[in-house]
Amino acid sequence: MAPQTELAPAPEAELAPAPDVESDAAAAAATAEEAPAFEYAEPTEGIGTPVDGGMTLPEQVTEVGQDALWFHNALLLPIITVISLLVLFLLLWVIARFNRRSNPTPSKTTHNTFLEVLWTLVPVLILVGIAIPSINLLQAQYNLPEGETVTVKVTGNQWYWTYEYPDHGEIMLISNMLPEEADAQEGQRFRTDADGPRLLGVDERMVIPAGTNVRFLVTAADVIHSFAVPAFWTKIDAVPGRLNERWVRVDRPGVYFGQCSELCGARHAFMPIAVEVVSPEDFERWVLAQGGSMPGAEAETSDDAAEDTATDTSAAEAAETAS
Amino acid sequence: MTDTAATPAHFEAHADNAHHDADHKPGFFVRWFMSTNHKDIGTLYLIFAIIAGIVGGMISGMMRMELAEPGIQYLADWSGEEGDAALHFWNVLITAHGLIMVFFMVMPAMIGGFGNWFVPLMIGAPDMAFPRMNNISFWLLVPAFLLLMGSAFFGAGAGTGWTVYAPLSTYGEPGPSVDMAILSLHLAGASSILGAINFITTIFNMRAPGMTLHKMPLFVWSVLVTAFLLLLALPVLAAAITMLLTDRNFGTTFYDPQGGGDPLLYQHLFWFFGHPEVYIMILPGFGMVSQVVATFSRKPVFGYLGMAYAMVAIGVVGFVVWAHHMFTVGLSLNTKLYFTAATMVIAVPTGIKIFSWIATMWGGSVTFKTPMLWAMGFIFMFTVGGVTGVVLANGGFDDIVHDTYYVVAHFHYVLSLGAVFGLFSGWYYWFGKMSGRMYNEFLGQLHFWLFFIGVNVLFFPMHFLGLDSMPRRYPDYPDAYAHWNEIATYGYWIMLAGMAVFFVNTIWSLVAGKKAADNYWGEGATTLEWTLSSPPPYHQFNTLPKID
Amino acid sequence: MNGMTDSRLTTKNRRSAFAAAMLVAGMVALGFASVPLYRIFCQVTGYGGTTQRAEAIAANIVPTGRVITVRFDSNVSRELPWNFVPERHTDRVAIGAREMAFYRAENLSNHAITGSASFNVTPLAAGQYFTKIQCFCFTQQTLQPGENVRMPVTYYVDPAILEDPDVGDVEEITLSYTFYPVDEPSSDG
Repeated sequence: MAPQTELAPAPEAELAPAPDVESDAAAAAATAEEAPAFEYAEPTEGIGTPVDGGMTLPEQVTEVGQDALWFHNALLLPIITVISLLVLFLLLWVIARFNRRSNPTPSKTTHNTFLEVLWTLVPVLILVGIAIPSINLLQAQYNLPEGETVTVKVTGNQWYWTYEYPDHGEIMLISNMLPEEADAQEGQRFRTDADGPRLLGVDERMVIPAGTNVRFLVTAADVIHSFAVPAFWTKIDAVPGRLNERWVRVDRPGVYFGQCSELCGARHAFMPIAVEVVSPEDFERWVLAQGGSMPGAEAETSDDAAEDTATDTSAAEAAETAS
Repeated sequence: MTDTAATPAHFEAHADNAHHDADHKPGFFVRWFMSTNHKDIGTLYLIFAIIAGIVGGMISGMMRMELAEPGIQYLADWSGEEGDAALHFWNVLITAHGLIMVFFMVMPAMIGGFGNWFVPLMIGAPDMAFPRMNNISFWLLVPAFLLLMGSAFFGAGAGTGWTVYAPLSTYGEPGPSVDMAILSLHLAGASSILGAINFITTIFNMRAPGMTLHKMPLFVWSVLVTAFLLLLALPVLAAAITMLLTDRNFGTTFYDPQGGGDPLLYQHLFWFFGHPEVYIMILPGFGMVSQVVATFSRKPVFGYLGMAYAMVAIGVVGFVVWAHHMFTVGLSLNTKLYFTAATMVIAVPTGIKIFSWIATMWGGSVTFKTPMLWAMGFIFMFTVGGVTGVVLANGGFDDIVHDTYYVVAHFHYVLSLGAVFGLFSGWYYWFGKMSGRMYNEFLGQLHFWLFFIGVNVLFFPMHFLGLDSMPRRYPDYPDAYAHWNEIATYGYWIMLAGMAVFFVNTIWSLVAGKKAADNYWGEGATTLEWTLSSPPPYHQFNTLPKID
Repeated sequence: MNGMTDSRLTTKNRRSAFAAAMLVAGMVALGFASVPLYRIFCQVTGYGGTTQRAEAIAANIVPTGRVITVRFDSNVSRELPWNFVPERHTDRVAIGAREMAFYRAENLSNHAITGSASFNVTPLAAGQYFTKIQCFCFTQQTLQPGENVRMPVTYYVDPAILEDPDVGDVEEITLSYTFYPVDEPSSDG
């Protein structure tokens, strides 16, 4: 009855269900001999990875993320700390001052209009004070700046991610978590420190250029997943049968990790996300190494396309008037 | 019967002549299995909630043990499975913990337990409006709980999370477990709806002469608002999960894009129920805390009307904020702006309540007995959970912490430290009234301090884990999160020690506690239950009290 | 007894309970009614990136000078042994002009299969301005074994989008389809 076939992934290896694309990449790299080979970077501890014993929000590497970080650290956190401490202080004051010994005769006050208006209006004002930067932040998150944009299609699967680059010669990566050495089967690639921390290292990182708009188109192939990269302040659900969109512009090259953030079954905790941000030149090198192509050559064709559509349009209009 | 007892100033319903027939109790089986007496049914609910709380609390202990250090330690042993099946068992644990604590611990204790016991007493009614329906309400809950427990043994167990999101819950988890869990929710929902109808009818029609709505104790107000929330929210859950069932079993595609359905529709329906549900769990706690604070401050509640209508406002606004649980599903800017703004509005009535409680204590002559400690703990902890709620309300902020431990910390501060503190406050406040014996004050305070320290050590570090982006519902985590997870697990053991004290105190007090006087809290306790004996007669208010 | 007789109270209680039960029934009905209501709401408002549908381009809509990119995205359910891709990933189109794009679908199996497509556009707020005149997604599509077809979609972007402060300056709209099998697959997995 229910389409359970979809959920029978039949993974050969315990933690590596996806087909091996590494050899393809290697072959592609071999063909692109003139360019220096693309090398994956080692992650920097604490940037793009969780901080050991960390107590704060992660360092942000996008402008919008930095705005949001400021919103929390400079506004929200101080406000909620002050409110909590105020309530604590009042309670302690009650304990000290209005206990039965210090104040044997209770007052009979049950109303104080001024106070009641005060503690209604002051919170309203505080909330308005929060809402204004909150609205600006939201608008910034939705407002893709002008400029060249790289599109990456992200698909969540049980339990791995696939990344496609539709404008770069149909590059498709299947990104699985790397097992620990002790858990890896013979011949299987296992995680080393160069790949990233335990549970975060993957066999195929998403690679995107720095200083460029990147648009993530996110969907899922089975159940709902959630694509999250904390250092970009990005989290967007991958919903089957539906496309979602988020954009980022990362200024600083590096390796940034995230983890699936919507319960998706048994190995929900074992489908990490690793994004490597590289210089535009390195990005091009990487694309070529993957056997892809840069859309630069397509610039002309897209002009053609504009003309094409113009003719299409007139044809369509002709058809319209005819009918 | 004669009307002699109806002197309002110092009313004694257990006037001597009442004892003869008022204490006539049926035999054991009829009394406890076919009970139509609101106090007995309340007692059954409380016992049920304690049992469910033990199960749910043990599950959280298993979760904290597994999370105490990185790596998978126990799941394979506990489940007797390997690989994915062992990992799936983790999801079964988190699902069971959530569902048990929400539907079988907090709700039965708050509404079924204290609501049944004290709403009729506080409004001066002889019983609930529909005593037999009251019995049905309780006995629907038992098979519901058994179905949920059974779902772990038939098939792989339901590992969908308490939210039961489609499509993980439709074609993501074959086997009977999820069906059983859904049916369990149906039964629990039916139980609560019948209970809600009963409370609304009782409160509207059976108040003692002179007790206008605006003279009702705030606990009764809180149950009234809660009952309306149940009435409006639970049917939507019932419809939503019925469609899950048909999607699972009868080939419909309400939530399946394959047949033109939309998985997000389920989330909209679930949270249309789910957000009011969190107020269902906390409002009766508000009510109890109001009674306790007034009693121990020896002052009437400050800003009574504001307090009552703040609850009404919270209930109303609670129905139009649901999508803040869905900030990352892909919402347009305008949708996010609206739900951000609407959610923040709730902070205003909540603030009114917090400050009014403090104002009630202000100028009072406060004694810090166990119930008052819990009430003050409630006020502070609920404030901490409330302010992180304001943080989370910001759609632009939420992305970073959505579905992380920050959210887990937030809702445990309002529930595990809010609702549960409210429950313990009510428990110690009314223990003598319900059982006729006083709890042990030293053990009560020891319970409070152990529990208070324990849950704070347990849940406060979760804020740090969440800010550092640890996702929730994970059985294993990158090693950087090990530190705070280890500390959180210590917190669990401290809390557990507190609970051990609670059980010792309860058993000791029931067996050997001091006999409780009618009004053992003295002049601060002004509501009608304190005019009765402790425990109250089996049938009370055969002659209705009159209120000035 | 006191004030109210037992039978009067019983009647009053029954009336209250009945009213409350009606409220419950109403909410249950609303819960189920939400399925069509949600669909209509999405169709009318373009909520969730739901595209609009028209028989033909309205007479008052004329091509504007503004040109944007429309991206075509495709997904296929794992249960559907089809290849399904857009012929071009992107087109530059004039807002307000009637446009046509093609997808290619091929049945890779050895039996005829019927599929239908779910769809939406991003940014989600662009849904109410993205109008399809003709689309393979309006009906079910049956492909014979090995059959390879071009599937057209005719659409226009409503110039009203330029007035919308939220999506008026959008440079690119993505139209996404996911093809699912219509018949229940023969259970082989």
